[in-house]
Amino acid sequence: MAPVKSPPDRRSVHLPSGIRAQQRAAKATSKPATKSASTTPSVSLRQVGKTYPDGSQALIDVSLELRKGDFLFITGPSGAGKSTLLKLLYGQEKFDSGSLTVGGFNLANLRGNQLALLRRRIGIIFQDYKLIPRRTVAENVAFVLWAQGYNRKEISRRLPPTLKMVGLQHKADCFPSQLSGGEQQRVSIARAVVGMPPLLLADEPTGNLDADNSRQVIRILKKLNSIGITVIVTTHDEHLVRTSNFPVVQLRDGRLYQVRS
Amino acid sequence: MLNLSQAAYLLRETAIGIRRGGWMNWAAVSTMTVLLFLFGISLQTTWQIEGLLNHFGSQLVISVYLDSGIDATSLVEPIQALPTVTQVTPVSKEVAWQRLTEELGMTDVAGAAQQLNGNPLTDELRVKARTADAVPQLAQQLEGIPSVSEVRYVTEAIQRLSELHQGLRWLSLGIVSVLSLTAAAVITTTIRLIVMARRQEIEVMQLVGATSLWIYLPFLLQGAAFGLAGAAVAWGLLLSIQQFLHHLAAQPPDLVQFLADSLQLSLGQILLLPLSLFALGSAVGLGGSLIAVRKLALR
Repeated sequence: MAPVKSPPDRRSVHLPSGIRAQQRAAKATSKPATKSASTTPSVSLRQVGKTYPDGSQALIDVSLELRKGDFLFITGPSGAGKSTLLKLLYGQEKFDSGSLTVGGFNLANLRGNQLALLRRRIGIIFQDYKLIPRRTVAENVAFVLWAQGYNRKEISRRLPPTLKMVGLQHKADCFPSQLSGGEQQRVSIARAVVGMPPLLLADEPTGNLDADNSRQVIRILKKLNSIGITVIVTTHDEHLVRTSNFPVVQLRDGRLYQVRS
Repeated sequence: MLNLSQAAYLLRETAIGIRRGGWMNWAAVSTMTVLLFLFGISLQTTWQIEGLLNHFGSQLVISVYLDSGIDATSLVEPIQALPTVTQVTPVSKEVAWQRLTEELGMTDVAGAAQQLNGNPLTDELRVKARTADAVPQLAQQLEGIPSVSEVRYVTEAIQRLSELHQGLRWLSLGIVSVLSLTAAAVITTTIRLIVMARRQEIEVMQLVGATSLWIYLPFLLQGAAFGLAGAAVAWGLLLSIQQFLHHLAAQPPDLVQFLADSLQLSLGQILLLPLSLFALGSAVGLGGSLIAVRKLALR
């Protein structure tokens, strides 16, 4: 069990400096047996600190460890550092102190082609979808594979099942502007997983969606997790967190607290 | 190693970039055209002046015209003995007359000689000096020989032409350098604008693990395409001008035809001109686009 203590106002715990919180999958019933056999951390943060140039401290002594097949919710109010934490994981931001490894890559000073190789092992879902307006659904999803240097045959092989998984096979030729918010987010999920990454990061994936679409998105994420993909979801939607039984941590003022393990 | 579909993808992305460029493409291609046209003109002019200088003969050769009735071969030995002389070639008046009539385009050689009461020329000696500095003094010495009627060597005008040739080379080098910088700057701006317009796609590519080379190669190809397009247009313009001048020189007297012929480029130069245009065009285009993406790629 993670050595954590709760903040006074709720059942969450503050991770003390120097001690890492182990956020392993708690619900063995929802996970395949292979996951429990995994011992290598998929994501490991040790006393990670991040201060922006304007002096504001985005993250303070954040320690966290996830293993292959884990599912973790990161909650917290806007500006708490949730997005910053995810950006550190995919190398969009640099951390100032501590150590951070993702999928065996040490992110300290990781750049260039090494960073590109790490990102091929991470799928990212954004709150604003980040779809390319002038490209169709199929092109948006295939774009990842083209960008990673796959050939046409392999792209043709991977595209239909991925679109089918998110229920958009019939909208392959539509442009993003012709889709609803929920559909656009599902395209974003398809794009994130078409390269079959072992780690999926979702930054407020339901932030712009209604309740039905939010449930649908979470259902897809659970499905992906059930096939062994490690999933980290940031959200400020308390309802969404309550209705699931996955581990939850909270970020407040740059510090990480455990809410549910 | 690129396979066919990957190469097709890169070309498709390059084409998308060109389509997004809109009018900026014209700015880039027209600047490249102006640069390469002037480069082509200066290159061609340099070659032509070189050809003209070669035609007028070496600056070391002194032409010695003898008195009428003097045989050129009789003076070869004493002149050869002079210390600043390296070579002496006799030219008989018959050979000189033959050459002159050929150069003037006369067909009725015998008739012309008859009209002038026989061959009006005299025998000639072509004396080659050891150095250019020795030429004036040697000419004076040769003039002092009794049977020598007249001595001629490369005149001031030819020397001026040679100096002009040198000056033109420097001037064209300067103009081409400045224009290359201008063209590179225009291409840099164009590619930057296109990169800005496609920044969302680039951001997504970066986030999904595309390497910098893979992301920016289409932009580099685009820069090279601007250069190649500019080179093609400039070459077309140069060919048109050559055709036009050739057409002008086709009709007039033989003397003008002779001058026009001496300005003609050799086969090697005709091939080298487009190669030089395409090489400079693609180099400037690639350089410009490389500057545009270098900063972004290093992030």
